Amino acid sequence: MMQATDKQENPTRSGLVTAPELKRHGFFRNVFSGIKSLLEGMKVTFHYLSHPSTVVTQQYPENRATLKMMERYRALLTMIHDENGLHKCTGCQICHDNCPNASINVVTRSNPVSGKKELDRYIWRMDSCTFCNLCVQVCPFGVLKMDGSFEGAVYDRRLFVFTLNHYAGPAAGLLAKVADPEERKKMIEPRDRYSGPVPLNGQELAGVKALKKAESGCCGGSGGCCSDSQGSQGSKEMK
Amino acid sequence: MSVHITTLDDRVRLRQDDSSPLSTQEYFVNMGPQHPSTHGVLRLVLKLDGETVREVIPVLGYIHRGIEKMGEHQSYRQFVHLSDRLDYLSALINNWAVSMTIEKAANIELNDRIQVIRTLMAELQRIQSHQLWWGVFGMDLGAFTPFLYGFRDREIIADIFEETVGARLTMNYIQPGGLMYDIHPGFVKRVKAFLQYFKPKLAEYETLLSGNVILQERLRGVGRMDGQTALSIGATGPVLRASGVPLDLRKSEAYGSYGKVAFDVVIGKNGDCWDRYWVRLEEMRQSMKIVEQLIDNIPEGKHMVMKPAVKIKLPEGCYYNQVETARGILGVYIVSDGKESPYRIHLRTPNFNNLWAITETAANWRLGDLVAILSSLDVVVPDIDR
Ligand code: SF4
Ligand code: SF4
Repeated sequence: MMQATDKQENPTRSGLVTAPELKRHGFFRNVFSGIKSLLEGMKVTFHYLSHPSTVVTQQYPENRATLKMMERYRALLTMIHDENGLHKCTGCQICHDNCPNASINVVTRSNPVSGKKELDRYIWRMDSCTFCNLCVQVCPFGVLKMDGSFEGAVYDRRLFVFTLNHYAGPAAGLLAKVADPEERKKMIEPRDRYSGPVPLNGQELAGVKALKKAESGCCGGSGGCCSDSQGSQGSKEMK
Repeated sequence: MSVHITTLDDRVRLRQDDSSPLSTQEYFVNMGPQHPSTHGVLRLVLKLDGETVREVIPVLGYIHRGIEKMGEHQSYRQFVHLSDRLDYLSALINNWAVSMTIEKAANIELNDRIQVIRTLMAELQRIQSHQLWWGVFGMDLGAFTPFLYGFRDREIIADIFEETVGARLTMNYIQPGGLMYDIHPGFVKRVKAFLQYFKPKLAEYETLLSGNVILQERLRGVGRMDGQTALSIGATGPVLRASGVPLDLRKSEAYGSYGKVAFDVVIGKNGDCWDRYWVRLEEMRQSMKIVEQLIDNIPEGKHMVMKPAVKIKLPEGCYYNQVETARGILGVYIVSDGKESPYRIHLRTPNFNNLWAITETAANWRLGDLVAILSSLDVVVPDIDR
């Protein structure tokens, strides 16, 4: 709470501060005070010139190794996968319905073994996303997070539409209940970043060849945005 | 009152008086829509006589995105993120304006923690916005150094926001029912470090620019506007206050935590460019005062009083609410038909009215002064067109 004294003394005080009047003086005084003011300004800039420690410019991309974004920084939507590569998404489509820009398309399927509805593809359109963070907020299972990998530039806009989940299948919790490893294998199917039924999702366009499936290594594990490999891949494909 | 409507075509038809061989010729020049000192896609059609500006005709619509119309197809919660894109330098305050309207309409009670954090964020945003303006103002008048200094200091507040909000410009942080996140554990420390850092820097601003004789001569008496005119065109914020009208919603409505803190309303005397310049500089000082008073007294509590996925429906009716952004009064008018998204949203944006001050203030000044006047009005173009 605010201090009581502040509360009693100040709210009613409607203090006004008025801008000072700029005064003109005689000719000579004006000339000298004018020159003085210019010199004072220059003193400030010379101070910075002679003190290299005050330099704030960051040497990007040379400082890439040390450049860390804050933990909450919103740059790349990621689906959290645990150490076994499993996610907790149930395909409930709440995020899909809450996205203001229709940037999320949650495609579901029924499981080939159990027949239950589950996540097939989690398709995110980075190009129309406004990074409002609503999807992360509304997900009841905390499946999504925003990653700080801000180097998202690519050479081909189709690369902005991609699949976030690494496999199609039941969520981690459900999968853990299946004891037989063989059956588990049958229940899931791997998904990579660029392939799928949605236009632009790496598909062939008139005059543009379909994108190759991302090599393992490119975002296979971390889900991070590896703009380098994507970029070069994209530009090659364009030719 | 009668309204006289003219088209741009009517207004750019010249009535030439060729009776005397000595009569000068007036001509029209487009300033913008791509012009570095209109800070965006603002087009001004200038009627010039030599280098003297006779008339300024603002032409809008180059960055119209239909935000009001888009709002009709979004839920209340989703609409907040569009308000970031009005006056992007006051994104958090815009969020607050929309959220507050929704909260008042839906009778959502907030705790003190939310109010204090909102106030803190709004004031930091105000300082940040004025810092940027100061830098750009210097640049428009031909001094490039202030631009760099303004951006350097702005960066520190941007870091504070990045840590707590996760974004640096389009925040979407203040939401109906509270805040997206609680403040980051490092928030208080960072803000205090900023206050300590920025106070001497503000003195440096004064030495570098305010004390500069060239700047003073270019601002003194230029683009005068009296309080009556300012009120009649609906100017608000520092533009109105510089004309001597002490209207500040933070004082008169005392929303958020403004009722609990001591600060002064800054006004000008002559309504010229110098007053507009000085009012904003002093407002930075006042904002720092507010932040100082609140930063040690953030009460405990939850940062959100609602569940994030709960659908908000407003009862049928019309709701209006306004806040003081860094540039003036932002009003949000919502017409609800009881559904999940508004029937109509109207935004009363400060820059739209403030821009019209240019038609009153710039007439009969030189072209170079027009740049100073426009810059002193501090317009953000996406807020004009929205
Ligand atoms: S951050 Fe916002 S716009 Fe982007 S996918 Fe999530 S909900 Fe949609
Ligand atoms: S990410 Fe969350 S909200 Fe979206 S479909 Fe999966 S479980 Fe549902």
